[in-house]
Amino acid sequence: MKSLQTLLIAFLFVAGMLSCRKDDISGNADDIPGLGGDTWVKGLIDDWIFSNLTVPYNVAVKYKWDQSEMEFNKIIVPPDEDKVLPVLSAVKQVWIDNYVAETNELFMKKYCPKFFVLAGSASWNMDGTITLGQAEGGRKILLYQLNDFRVKGMDGYQPEDSFNVKQMFHTIEHEFAHILHQNVMYPQEFKQISVGNYTSNWNNVSDEAANELGFISAYAMSFPDEDFVEMASMMLVEGRDWFNTMVNSIADEDAQSKLRQKEAMVVNYFKDVWNINFYSLQTRTRASITALVK
Amino acid sequence: MKKIALFILSVTLCLAACRKDEPVFDQSPDERINKTLSDYQAALVSSPTGWKATIVPGRGGIYHFYFRFNNENRVFMYADFDTVTAKYQKESSYRLKALQQPTLIFDTYSYLHLLADPDAAVNGGSYGSGLLSDFEFSLDTLYADSIILSGKMNNTKLKLEKASQQELDEWQNGEWADALSFINVAGIKNYFKRLTLNGVEYEVSVDPASRTINFQWFSGGTVKQFSTSYYFNAGGIVLESPVINGSQTISGFSDVSWNEVNQSVSLKSGNSTGVIAGAVKPLKTDINAPRRWWQTAVSDEAYWQSFAGFHANGVDDAFGINTLGKFYSLILWPEYEAGNDLFAPVFINAAGTGLELRYGAATSTPEFTADGRAVFSILGTYGTYPNTGPAAQSLIQLLIPQGYYFIQTSATSYDMVSALDAKTWITWNY
Repeated sequence: MKSLQTLLIAFLFVAGMLSCRKDDISGNADDIPGLGGDTWVKGLIDDWIFSNLTVPYNVAVKYKWDQSEMEFNKIIVPPDEDKVLPVLSAVKQVWIDNYVAETNELFMKKYCPKFFVLAGSASWNMDGTITLGQAEGGRKILLYQLNDFRVKGMDGYQPEDSFNVKQMFHTIEHEFAHILHQNVMYPQEFKQISVGNYTSNWNNVSDEAANELGFISAYAMSFPDEDFVEMASMMLVEGRDWFNTMVNSIADEDAQSKLRQKEAMVVNYFKDVWNINFYSLQTRTRASITALVK
Repeated sequence: MKKIALFILSVTLCLAACRKDEPVFDQSPDERINKTLSDYQAALVSSPTGWKATIVPGRGGIYHFYFRFNNENRVFMYADFDTVTAKYQKESSYRLKALQQPTLIFDTYSYLHLLADPDAAVNGGSYGSGLLSDFEFSLDTLYADSIILSGKMNNTKLKLEKASQQELDEWQNGEWADALSFINVAGIKNYFKRLTLNGVEYEVSVDPASRTINFQWFSGGTVKQFSTSYYFNAGGIVLESPVINGSQTISGFSDVSWNEVNQSVSLKSGNSTGVIAGAVKPLKTDINAPRRWWQTAVSDEAYWQSFAGFHANGVDDAFGINTLGKFYSLILWPEYEAGNDLFAPVFINAAGTGLELRYGAATSTPEFTADGRAVFSILGTYGTYPNTGPAAQSLIQLLIPQGYYFIQTSATSYDMVSALDAKTWITWNY
C-alpha cells in the first residue's frame, strides 16, 4: 500500500512537471516587424509634427500611405510631401491657436481629436460626388485632397482654391463641435426648433432650399446633432457677416427666426458650457481663414 | 493495483517522452520576414545608378520610370509621363512593410502616383480610378539584377531592372524630355495637325492619355487611315505597329524638338526629316458634309445642339456659354421656319421641368460653297438677342464670313471648324 502511495506521488509529480512545461517562443520576440507602428528615417515633416502637434496636444498625424486607414474599395493616393506642412500649419493657425486663444492650452489638450490622416486626392463616391473630409468617433479625422491645397502666395493659387481651404476647416470645426457636444450635451430645446423637418433625404436638398426651411446647410437637415455642429462650423468658417446676409436673404420669416434661435443657442452653449465667447472665436477664425486666401 | 499504477505511470512517461517539437523552418516567422525585408532593402540600394522600370496601367499605354533608392527611406524618380517629369528629378518617400506579403509602398506622392491618381484631370483617365495603376506593390521575386513586383490594388506588374550609368544620363541630360516634347502636338491650337514627311502629308491626331496616334493620308484618290499606340524611349517615340504608305514606312520618330514660336514639332523618321504643324483646312475636304449635316436635321424636323459651345484657341467653351444661368445647350435648328434657321441658347425653365427659348437669331439657310464650306448670315432676331456676353460672342463667331468646314465624327455628330484659321470649332450632336 505504501509503495502504491509512493507511485501515486511519483505519478502526480511527473504529471505536475508535464503540466508545467512552457513552450518558449522560438526566436526573438523583441523584433516583430511593424510592432508599435511603422518606422522610417525621420525627416523635417516628422520633426515639425512632433514638436508642434504631438508634444503640446498629443496629436498624431499619418501622412504616409496606409490603406488600412481608408476605405478599401476606394482609389486614393497619398499626399505630396510639399503640401503636408502648409496644411498642418494652417490647421494649427486656424483651429488650434484660435481655440487656445479663447480658452486655454488645457482645453485643447483635453478635447482635440488625437489622430489626423492625410490623403492627396479626394475620395470619389459611386454617385460621382467627392468626399473632402471624414471623421470617426471623435478621435480620427481624415483630410482629403491635400494635393490641391493652395493658399495665397503658393504657386498657381486661384481664388477658387479658397473653396478647398474652407471645406477643410469646415470638416475640422464640424468634428470638433461634435466632440464638444458629446462631452456636454447642448440644451434639449435646440432639437425642438426644427422638429419634424429632419430627414434622411437631405442629400437631395440644395443648401438654398435648406436655408428656406431654417437650416444652415442641407446636411444640417439630417439630424439635430448635425444641425447643431453645422451651425457652429459654418458660422465659424464663413463668419458673422455671411451668416447675417444669408439669414436676411431668406424669404420665409419663420425660417429666419429658426436660424436666429439656433444661433443664439449655439452662442449660449459655448458661453455657458465652455466659457467661450463664440463671436470672438468666430471673428478670430474667420480672420485666420481670410488671411490664408485673400 | 500496483501494476495499474505502474502502467499509468509508464504510459504517461512514454507519451511525454514521445513528444517531438520540430519546426518546419529553422527560424521563426518574424525572423524570416525580417530577413526577407532586409534582403529587399539591401537589394533596392544595391544599384548606385538606380533602377529602370516599365509600367502598363490598366487603361493602356506604356510608361517608363527611373528609381533610385537610398537607406533613409527616400526614392528619387524620373518618368516619361510629361516633359516636367522627364526632366526634373522628384524626391519622395518609400518604405518596406510586412503586410500579407512583404510590400514596397511608395508612401508619399511621386511621379508614380500620377498614373494612379483618381482625379482624371491629372492623367486623363476616369474620375475615381485614374489610369488604374498602383503605388503599393508586393515583392514577388528577387533576382540578382531585377526585382519582380505586383500592384496590390490593380495588379499592375512592375519589373525593376538595374539601370546603367548611360541610362541614368539619358534622363539627366534631358534626352527623355526632348522625346516627350512630342506631346506638344496635342496642344497645337489648330483642329487640323499636319505631318509633312519627305513631301508626303499626313493628318495626325494624338491622344496623350491613351498614348495612341491616328494617321490619315491621301493615296490613289482615297483617304487611308491608321491608328496605333506609341511609347517613348530616350531617343524619341516608337509606334507599336508601323504606318506603311507605299514606299514610305513610319515606325517611329527621333530627334524630336518643339518650336514654341511656330507651334510646330520637328522630327525625323529614319533618314527623312519632317515637321508637324497646325493646318487651316482638312487634308481632303468632305465637300458634301455641310449640306448633309443641314439636311439630316431638316429631314427629321430636328435640331443640332452643342453642350460645350465654341472651342477657341485652345480653350474649351471659350465664350463661357455655360456660365449663363440655367443654360442647357446651344442649338442650330435648320428650317426653323420656312426659309430661315434658328441659332440660340436653350435654357431650363424656372420649374425645372422642360426647356425654353428666351431669344434667338434667325439665320439664313447656309450658303454651301463649292469647296465644301458652309457660310452663315443673319436675317433677324427672335425676342431681344443680347448685344454682349457669351450668347452675343457665339453669334458673332457663327457669322464669320469665311464659314466652316464640317467633319463628320460619327453618325450623329459633326465638328464644325472655322475656315478662317481652324483654331475655333464646335461639336454638334444630334
